Amino acid sequence: MMKKKIGVYICHCGTNISDYVDVEKVRKAVENEEGVFIAKTTMFACSDSSQKEIIEDIKNYGLNGMVVASCSPKLHLNTFREVAERAGMNKYNYVHANIREQGSWAHSDNKEGATLKAIQLVKSAIAKARLVHGLEPNVISAKKSVAIIGAGVAGMKAAISIAEKNCPVFLIEREFFVGGRVSQWGEMFTTDETGQEVVTRLYNELIQKPNVTLFTGTEVIESSGSIGDFSLKLKKKPRYVKNVCDHDKFQKAIDVCPVEVPDEFNFNLTTRKAIYHNFPSEYPHAGVIDIDNCTRCGLCETVCKDIDFSQKEEIIAINVGSVLVASGFDPYTPKNGEYCYNEVENVITLPQFKRLIELNEKELLFNGKKIENIAYIYCVGSREPEGENTYCSRYCCTSAIHAALSARKKFKNIINLHFHRGIRTYGKQETLYYNSRSQGDIYIQAEDGTLPEVYCKDGKTMVKVKDILSSGREVEAEADLVVLITGMVPRSNNTIGTILKLPKGRDNFFNEIHMKLRPVETFIDGVTICGACQGPKNIMESVNSALAAATKSFSYINKGELETEPVVAEIDPNMCTWCDACTNACPYDAISKVSADQKIYATINNSVCKGCGMCLPVCPEDAIQLVNYSDNEIESMIDALAQG
Amino acid sequence: MTNQENKYQYDALVIGGGIAGGEAALNLASTGYKVLLVEKDLSIGGKMIMLSKVFPTLDCGACITTPKISEISRHPDITIFTETEVTSIEKISEGDFKVNIKKNPRYVIVEDCTGCQQCEEACPVSVSDEYQYGMVGRKAIFIPFSIASPKAAAVDIDSCILCGACERACPTNCIDFTQKTEYIDLNVKTIIIATGFNLFNPLLIPRFGFGKYKNVITSMQMERQLAPTRPYNTILRPGDGKMPDRIAYVLCTGSRDETIGNPICSQICCMYSIKQAQLLMGALPMADVTIYYIDIRSFGKGFEEFYQQAIGMGVNMVKGKIGKIKEKENGDLILRYEDIDEGIVKEAEHDMVVLSVGVLPNSDASGYFKKEELKLGFHKFIYQPDSLISPARTSIEGVFVAGTASGPMDIPDSILSAGSASSEAISYLIQQ
Repeated sequence: MMKKKIGVYICHCGTNISDYVDVEKVRKAVENEEGVFIAKTTMFACSDSSQKEIIEDIKNYGLNGMVVASCSPKLHLNTFREVAERAGMNKYNYVHANIREQGSWAHSDNKEGATLKAIQLVKSAIAKARLVHGLEPNVISAKKSVAIIGAGVAGMKAAISIAEKNCPVFLIEREFFVGGRVSQWGEMFTTDETGQEVVTRLYNELIQKPNVTLFTGTEVIESSGSIGDFSLKLKKKPRYVKNVCDHDKFQKAIDVCPVEVPDEFNFNLTTRKAIYHNFPSEYPHAGVIDIDNCTRCGLCETVCKDIDFSQKEEIIAINVGSVLVASGFDPYTPKNGEYCYNEVENVITLPQFKRLIELNEKELLFNGKKIENIAYIYCVGSREPEGENTYCSRYCCTSAIHAALSARKKFKNIINLHFHRGIRTYGKQETLYYNSRSQGDIYIQAEDGTLPEVYCKDGKTMVKVKDILSSGREVEAEADLVVLITGMVPRSNNTIGTILKLPKGRDNFFNEIHMKLRPVETFIDGVTICGACQGPKNIMESVNSALAAATKSFSYINKGELETEPVVAEIDPNMCTWCDACTNACPYDAISKVSADQKIYATINNSVCKGCGMCLPVCPEDAIQLVNYSDNEIESMIDALAQG
Repeated sequence: MTNQENKYQYDALVIGGGIAGGEAALNLASTGYKVLLVEKDLSIGGKMIMLSKVFPTLDCGACITTPKISEISRHPDITIFTETEVTSIEKISEGDFKVNIKKNPRYVIVEDCTGCQQCEEACPVSVSDEYQYGMVGRKAIFIPFSIASPKAAAVDIDSCILCGACERACPTNCIDFTQKTEYIDLNVKTIIIATGFNLFNPLLIPRFGFGKYKNVITSMQMERQLAPTRPYNTILRPGDGKMPDRIAYVLCTGSRDETIGNPICSQICCMYSIKQAQLLMGALPMADVTIYYIDIRSFGKGFEEFYQQAIGMGVNMVKGKIGKIKEKENGDLILRYEDIDEGIVKEAEHDMVVLSVGVLPNSDASGYFKKEELKLGFHKFIYQPDSLISPARTSIEGVFVAGTASGPMDIPDSILSAGSASSEAISYLIQQ
């Protein structure tokens, strides 16, 4: 192998590193290491001027190896690989040393130790740089199509946007109707458009796009492949109703159906039949039979000829270049007894309250009783000091205030009492809070560390709180209706996450790679996320993230081919004895069996392999090596670390 | 002044080179479109490049911005004009906008400048440094800041005495006092407005004493003191150079305040103040930090946890609005406020006060349009006619808005909004 001429650059990272690591001392300690041609320090290695300087050095001195000691490779490995590439060096001859997260930040209490550790880390990176050899990226062709999971507002908007870019879209919705949660809302802040109107607008736009294929009642049940070519297996449930259906006869079928079940669309405030329409403006415009609750009595068939119990579940296979996940959220369901939920009948949740406003016309009635005094209890299932959900659900303050104002506008004599923990109507939403107060809504904040209590006294429902404005004095109020302002939680049925192997954050929502640098990308190449499946968001924020994800998914595939990392596992067929251990260890199904020359051995599919290394330790023959992380290279790094 | 008849042609014009404009330009360029990015300042990077660490992950602001800036500035399909303003835009038809821009002279040939700073040493004129928010001085010829892009000197011609010392000192002869203002006509097919926001000027609230009491500073000045490229290399109060140990934050300075004409919440001040408080506790372990607030708005992903972490670190949170600030003879400050928890008016002494200044609209862009009207909303941010479903659309078809030009936003939301604007712009370009 050609002898290496290595350039070493040690970054101050402003003061992030140099506050604790003596950067100059590190430089001196490594400048005479074997192979090192030049060793420099730099204020910000990632800045444009430093990048230019490194490129000059590579060109002027003919360097063929490069080490930058800076932050985590998660942040800047690719930055410096590209620097190498622009200078004409093979980018896989670059080795990254992390002396910030693993050095200065981890050992801010021990400057000398941090410096010593930085020296060892840089030396081990140099040791690897002496051994690495150039690699060429795998170029694979990309299918020019995108699958979008979830046809809520985010998914529909992303689908429209990608379709507008002349790229075919498969929009896959688990429910029989599109529109997701927004279809359930009435008037919304800030435009006072109703959820139904928004969904109608999006649906009408969507169906005009010839390159969108919409699947409803359809779930993804299997995914294989990787960026550029995902194979998805879809399961499409039958509606048991023909696509073209006589409306009047269908209505008769609904009338005769003897089965009544709680209607999820109205959050169980009302019931529906086992054969049903979703709501007046359902999309697509077709009824459905809820087969789990249907008793097969056959009455509907007698009045409507478009009922078809012979319809079968279909399995559909599609291939796409990228997958965009917009699977949304669930509203938090309070536990039994949480603020008397499910114990006292006039305690309901915010989503139920919103439906209640929509369902009542002249008077606000709940269970036949007229409602005037309404108590709203905020942060139910959010900002829990003890519970699971420590996060703020972001949308609920504004949504609750808007609902309270809608109730006040639509019905007479409403008194709104808000029991909150600090109102968070951020940005322009502040005007709503202002309006609400000037219209007479009453806001009572609980003292820090205390929560309101709901209880029954003499047959009345009462709310009690330690009021911050009167130095913690207890304030008690009677309520005709208690509305629990419930936050957003991740979907309870989140199989799509398991199928696509999407990582989750500590709040259990899907997690992006980096909130600022790569806010809609995931660690699964080619899979983007957006909307409330990655955390609480309002509609505008969901749409913004949906369009950002659409741009990203489109940019992966629009050139028709893409490059993937050549850092993959390599199997030596002569050493492999085909014991099958590696195929079981591989989380990506990248390994398969081949037989050639009367020998059976394992082989790697380079475009699927992620280079995770799971197969290496299980191989009893040591027949697998990870390119760029070979035993040789790793051992040289360990030796350098051990020598100090 | 010259009026050049240059004919330039681009697919997209992005106005504003902050993080939103930069992100939008990158999205467009990586889809194959030719982009002109126009920035009125001497460097791209906007306000974000000036920040220390950013909430809630405490990534260093420069570490995130600089590589992005570098990617923007070397992208073959992005042309950047700094120190350039848009003077007029006229929509001829769908997909055809006639734009006139004014390129101000920098008096330095950027391509030849190596950033050696010898001109700075030679220059005899010292003035206040706006990039350090007035906390230190700079010369009349200067490199805006160490991670500026382009990293090249510029002459502040209003302060320059034309002594010629810089020209003699410059080893590459890149200083050129003959440069003139250029007016350039160009045609573009779509426009993204990413003109950002203005910071509230606390001089408008005289009872806080900003500008009069030296130890009352703005949050942006504190941001600079905490940044890696900071002016003092530590935290000092400007009055006497003492290291402060009782620091107060006054939230909602210029936000949620009808009296100064800005009733809305600025969306970022709670979080950046909590972040600065955490950084201060690291930089000055002995210091007490108190945050005076109305409501804490830690609403985003990981924000509430970040707020609780600050409380855990010992940041003192006081619910109460500051009424007035007085200065003692030794430069310490007395804050008069109503302590909501106790229900009484109190006074507290601090040795440094940080005013958490809010986000005000930058409505310059509405003045560019000559024929069509670029409408502003009620709060003078750019109006979003379809804010729920197409937040990036404006009142003019083919013109989109990204980032804080349409309202207060934090960095992640600005970046997503830039993604949204570029997606709409790409669709618009394809349909032309």
